Amino acid sequence: MNDDDFLTRLAALTDAAAAAGRAPARLKSRLYSALVAQQAAAGPLRSLPSTQAAGGHLCVFEHVLRVVPNEQVASMNPCRVCHARVLAERFESPPIYWPHCPYVDFQKR
Amino acid sequence: MSGDTLSAPESAPGGTLQSLPAALAAEQALLAAVLAKDRKAAAEFVSRYADPVYAYVSRRLAPRADRVDDVVQDVFLVAFQKLASFGGQSSVVGWLLGIARHKVEDVYRRQLREPDPLPDLDEPWPGSTVEQGVEELIDAARAEEKTRLILARLPEAYSAALLWRYWEQRSIKDMAAQTGKTEKALERLLARARAAFRRLWEATQP
Repeated sequence: MNDDDFLTRLAALTDAAAAAGRAPARLKSRLYSALVAQQAAAGPLRSLPSTQAAGGHLCVFEHVLRVVPNEQVASMNPCRVCHARVLAERFESPPIYWPHCPYVDFQKR
Repeated sequence: MSGDTLSAPESAPGGTLQSLPAALAAEQALLAAVLAKDRKAAAEFVSRYADPVYAYVSRRLAPRADRVDDVVQDVFLVAFQKLASFGGQSSVVGWLLGIARHKVEDVYRRQLREPDPLPDLDEPWPGSTVEQGVEELIDAARAEEKTRLILARLPEAYSAALLWRYWEQRSIKDMAAQTGKTEKALERLLARARAAFRRLWEATQP
């Protein structure tokens, strides 16, 4: 078997054998932050009352913003200034436990 | 999330089986919610699709794990920018892996475009007709681990060239067109890379 054949066979074999790795929660946190920031930069996010009406569960901080009768406030992204985001983007198992926080949910999956 | 509109289809990784139409409908609902800038939908999108994209990118960039996170993030940012034009001709995972493939090839291209600092190593591999190594291919998991270790020890240009040529199955002509190198130059690089790989393969304990 020449080197070219050897590597062709090896590539086919090892690709099939490679285990599907799971993305680290820290990376998922970074992705989520970056995506929401990108969306917010292009205009307001879906408001929190609309998000809740569509079936999304709000975290405690989002609940606080939701009750403010101001559309601009209701579209804010409190994650941007939340300690949970900061910890989750840097540590794989941070001490955060808020119900319905996406950063907490990324740790569980 | 557990709402009716955006809940994950149960055929998602880790879930139980669900009918295909129901899974597709749930996927479409998720995409529509992401386009409406629903932050919970964005979180669900990340939860559902980060694992397959990460698995692909980390395999293709192994052993350069330091670049994996940035490439995966690029994939998702591009996907969100282009989501409105995604027509559903393929699955979302297939579409994301297509973007990931381009991003991985960008990395290979950059590595191969850099001036070649590699020593003009080797005479042609002396064992080019031997059957050594065949038995080792039988044990796929062991071969995968050994391959990862060897790619980590090779110069970046060698591992990029081998991954692009054999794991991505790109032709030398394509690789030459994308890197601005001549086909001859790439063939020489690949010959050196193959020889170095093979030498390490035979010197490394299984």
